Amino acid sequence: MSEQMTNIEQTTVVETEPDTCCEPLKPTLAPAPQCAKVSPEISETSQPVITSDKFCFYYGKAVGVKDISMDIYPKAVTAIIGPSGCGKSTFLRSINRMNDLIPHTHTGGVLAVNGQDIYDKRVNLVNLRQQVGMVFQRPNPFPKTIYDNIVYGPRLQGVRSRSKLDAIVEQCLRDSALWDEVKDELKKSALALSGGQQQRLCIARALATKPEVLLMDEPCSALDPVATSRIEELIHKLKVDYTIVIVTHNMQQAARVSDRTSFFCLGELIEYGLTKDVFTNPTNRQTEDYITGRFG
Amino acid sequence: MTKNPDKKSEPQVAAVGFNRPLLLSPAQDLQGYLAAVLGKMFLLGITCVSLMVVVLIFVFISKEAWPFFATHGIGKLLGSTSWYPTAEPAEFGGVSLLAGSLYVTAGALLIAVPIGLLAALFLSDIVSFRIRQFVKPIIELLAAIPSVAYGFFAVLIMAPWMQEKLHLPTGTNALNASIILAIMAIPTIISIAEDALSAAGRNLREGSYALGATRAETLVKVVVPAAHSGIIAAIILGMMRAVGETMVVWMASGNAARIPAPWWNITQSIRTMTATIAGEMGETAKGSDHYHCLFAVGFLLLVFTFALNLASEHFLSRARRLRGGSK
Amino acid sequence: MKMQLRHLGDKTFTFASGMSVLLMVAALVLILGPMLSRGAGALVFDGTVEYRKMQYDMHGRGQRKPLETQLKNAAKARAEVYRLMDNFAVMVDTSKVQKQAKSIFRQFKIQLSNQVKNGTLAPEQAASLKFAGKELRNKLRRAYKTSNAQEAHEKLDYVLNYADNRQFADSVAGQFFTLARQYKNVVSAAGLKHRETYAKSFREVQEIIKELLGPQPGEPIPDLAQFQYGSTRWGRAKILRDRLLWAETWVAQGPDQPLKKTRTPREDQFAGTELAKLFPIMEQNLEKMLLPQRTFYWQYFIDDSTPGHFFGGVGPEIIGTVLLTLLAMAIAVPLGVTAAGYLVECTGDGTFIRIIRTCINTLAGVPSIVFGLFGLAFFVLYLQPKLGVGSGSTILAGALTLTVLVLPVLIRASEEAIRAVPLTYKEASLGLGAGKFRTFVKVTLPAATPGILTGIILSMSRAAGETAPILFTATVALGPVPKSIFQPTRTLSYGSYDIAVGDRIAAMVPHQQYGMVMTLIALVLVLNLTAIIIRRKLESKLRGH
Repeated sequence: MSEQMTNIEQTTVVETEPDTCCEPLKPTLAPAPQCAKVSPEISETSQPVITSDKFCFYYGKAVGVKDISMDIYPKAVTAIIGPSGCGKSTFLRSINRMNDLIPHTHTGGVLAVNGQDIYDKRVNLVNLRQQVGMVFQRPNPFPKTIYDNIVYGPRLQGVRSRSKLDAIVEQCLRDSALWDEVKDELKKSALALSGGQQQRLCIARALATKPEVLLMDEPCSALDPVATSRIEELIHKLKVDYTIVIVTHNMQQAARVSDRTSFFCLGELIEYGLTKDVFTNPTNRQTEDYITGRFG
Repeated sequence: MTKNPDKKSEPQVAAVGFNRPLLLSPAQDLQGYLAAVLGKMFLLGITCVSLMVVVLIFVFISKEAWPFFATHGIGKLLGSTSWYPTAEPAEFGGVSLLAGSLYVTAGALLIAVPIGLLAALFLSDIVSFRIRQFVKPIIELLAAIPSVAYGFFAVLIMAPWMQEKLHLPTGTNALNASIILAIMAIPTIISIAEDALSAAGRNLREGSYALGATRAETLVKVVVPAAHSGIIAAIILGMMRAVGETMVVWMASGNAARIPAPWWNITQSIRTMTATIAGEMGETAKGSDHYHCLFAVGFLLLVFTFALNLASEHFLSRARRLRGGSK
Repeated sequence: MKMQLRHLGDKTFTFASGMSVLLMVAALVLILGPMLSRGAGALVFDGTVEYRKMQYDMHGRGQRKPLETQLKNAAKARAEVYRLMDNFAVMVDTSKVQKQAKSIFRQFKIQLSNQVKNGTLAPEQAASLKFAGKELRNKLRRAYKTSNAQEAHEKLDYVLNYADNRQFADSVAGQFFTLARQYKNVVSAAGLKHRETYAKSFREVQEIIKELLGPQPGEPIPDLAQFQYGSTRWGRAKILRDRLLWAETWVAQGPDQPLKKTRTPREDQFAGTELAKLFPIMEQNLEKMLLPQRTFYWQYFIDDSTPGHFFGGVGPEIIGTVLLTLLAMAIAVPLGVTAAGYLVECTGDGTFIRIIRTCINTLAGVPSIVFGLFGLAFFVLYLQPKLGVGSGSTILAGALTLTVLVLPVLIRASEEAIRAVPLTYKEASLGLGAGKFRTFVKVTLPAATPGILTGIILSMSRAAGETAPILFTATVALGPVPKSIFQPTRTLSYGSYDIAVGDRIAAMVPHQQYGMVMTLIALVLVLNLTAIIIRRKLESKLRGH
């Protein structure tokens, strides 16, 4: 925690200094200690979970994202950063086809999950979305009890037995570090929880369908710093078992939390690589400008 | 959705455990498709009930009104004031009925529009939120009272009072009906006008106040003109309420099918189209001339309110457009 | 100077607009107040012993013993009144007693001939007794017919002279003397002279007493319930008493001026006669005769009414209104909510949805009487014969007409409620793998429930209050409680109309009139309040409190 705090301070200090070369950045933006654990070897040799090949997404005539080609590797956290309106959320929501809700859209290129092109007409959306879960920007628990929120997914899958459901609820709440706080109040309305608790509940709810991938669309932007840090701890915990893709406009969060980072700008993928590389030694001028705060 | 038919769509061995198939089996696909299509058709059918009903209403009212128009022509209905449908020979001059409807509607609007607008202005701009929350249910309660209860009041309480205190020959007359209709129309006017006034926005008002206008001047010179489309729609809807009302006029207007003489004497009994239909249909043989004539009057009512409806919709969409543009 | 004018204008404007709102509030109070308070008089009032008797006779309510005691006490108090009236009646209208005299003589003749037949009397004696009896009869009848008090007394004295004669006194003819004595008591100089004028006034007095106390014991019971009992409400009894004690006469004020109504004590009309004693008795003892006590007639909402709504309650009307409303909602709710769901979820902004919207707006604007015409033309005259039901008013036709009336309101309210559900709920549900339909049913609908429920209840209150659509399709003014939906029914709304303008009898029982409209208003108010409360409670539950 303190290391992260120092990083922030030093980053701030760096930002006020005039235009300098990359040298001063090297020592200051050290990645979070956990990052070192994910050895590059594993990431390179294991098959990517999500692959995109020149994937494009159009809202009518306007471009959402264009020619995105990136591979997302399992059991790691991949962050997508970039200025507002650059297509991060569009790309993320394409992965579980949430963009289907918007009318008059079409795609180009290939976006595949587990090798299967998910924009194929025959795709089983139910199974896709149950295995690629999503946590949204604003916590959106259903106006039901905490218990009912979590068992919503499993019930869809056909789980009826009370004991199984109870077990799932406990497991998910433990996994999202909420169990101790709500274990006696499972029948309370989910809307009575605080913002941070609601978001953890949404994470628990997403975990209940036993997904392989967890998509997180700016999960902390509506939360206060204390809640944010708890969610970040949770992400560290979860990445052991799940593949996590997180969109964030907070660079420091990306640096703290992710193994790989991709930088989007104006709908295009500018740079993608290991987080420590992207932040300390960005290959692209735009990336460097964004990271150093010259725009965005 | 266009996709790129590409070599990469072949499934590859994955490193993670996706144990639920991501592709639909053909059976599932077909099932899903059928369910979606049939389901949509069913729901569409149910939604179209409202469409069907409107069509049916027009068809059946015209169907029953047509024999009258075919044999007597609309000129007869609109040409004279002698309404003696049960006499031999029967006379179907409906002008007195039209005039009656006109009298009570105009009278109601004369009372309702100023009061309704002022009240809407009061509630939207002058009074605090708490008082507004308290007053609005009261106004809505006025709208919820059944029309027959209003008619009851008009004939048993107000008519005797009018007869006594205003020394009139009869208490059931155009004035009585107009007052009660006004009370019924005002809640409609208030609710829609208030929406329109609120939608005009704070910026508009603040701009006027910043230039030193008093509140009355701001409201009258800036806000009301800005919200004029919505206000006109409110008035039209209030008018529709007054024209279409049956029970109140049946009980309170006196049911005399003649034009008041002199024309400005609203303390005389008149009769409206709606009251005529309500009063005479029960005693009419189905299929007789009189029967078809009553349907013809109903047809006129339908057409007239339909036209008013279109007009109000026009003004409401104008209001929405203007509002959307200014934002 | 201009500044002051502007400020004045501002203040006037504020005042005027405030007055408008106050006017509306005042209108609400002025309209609802009298109707509700007078209507409450149908439920809570001072009921007399006649009322309790009626309730016991018609419904078996109340206990027999105490009621009988009360009736006995009342009868005791009334006895004197009846006696005075009977006696006076005799004087005013002697045709009855004349007939009685004739019949006495006839019976006397029969008795005499019987006695001759079985030998207890000699024929000559019988003949002379018959002759004397006839004399008595004629004298008595003359006494009855004459308007000269002196002559009457003469003739009566003549008859009474024979009272000591055993041969008459012990036989049927003895009744002559009873009659003569009775009449002698009644006859007074003043009375006989004004026999004609008394007749009219006395008839009025008789009518009022009959209304007050019911049919006299011994008289045949009338067929109509209205006339079988005296005044059941103490309030009305007091009004009747006032009418009894004070007569209204038209008095000329001047040569060219209209006649003015003035009140004169009725006692003066009978001054000098025995009947004059009646009035102070009625003034002071009416309570003992009627025994008023506070009554709470809650069965008003269950009981049927007697013809003309003179007695009884609004039970069948309530049943009719409830049946119509529930049936209409049972059809309208699935249709409306489904349509609203389809409009929100499955349609975009194309021509189709614009057409549907125009249709819904059109339906919302159609006058209610045109709905009634449509219901008549389509449901009653076209559809029903096709279903084999016959083209008359039925609850089904009325309910269908009300459905059509209520549908646009319901669709609008449901649509608004469904649209108000935040998109994120839908996203969350879809993100968890639920299909569109399941999302709608399991997430959107429950979240929209407060708004939809409010819309349903408000539509219900509208359907319950409407009269014009059911005029030709479902409702009648008189009729039995319906046993199936293929029969017409009485309703609160139409009943209120009918009882306010159509019924002559109802004007005599204003509490019945107001009671019916109060029931309707109360029903509507309760529904509206329920809607508000449910909406508040569900909304706070949805917000997590």
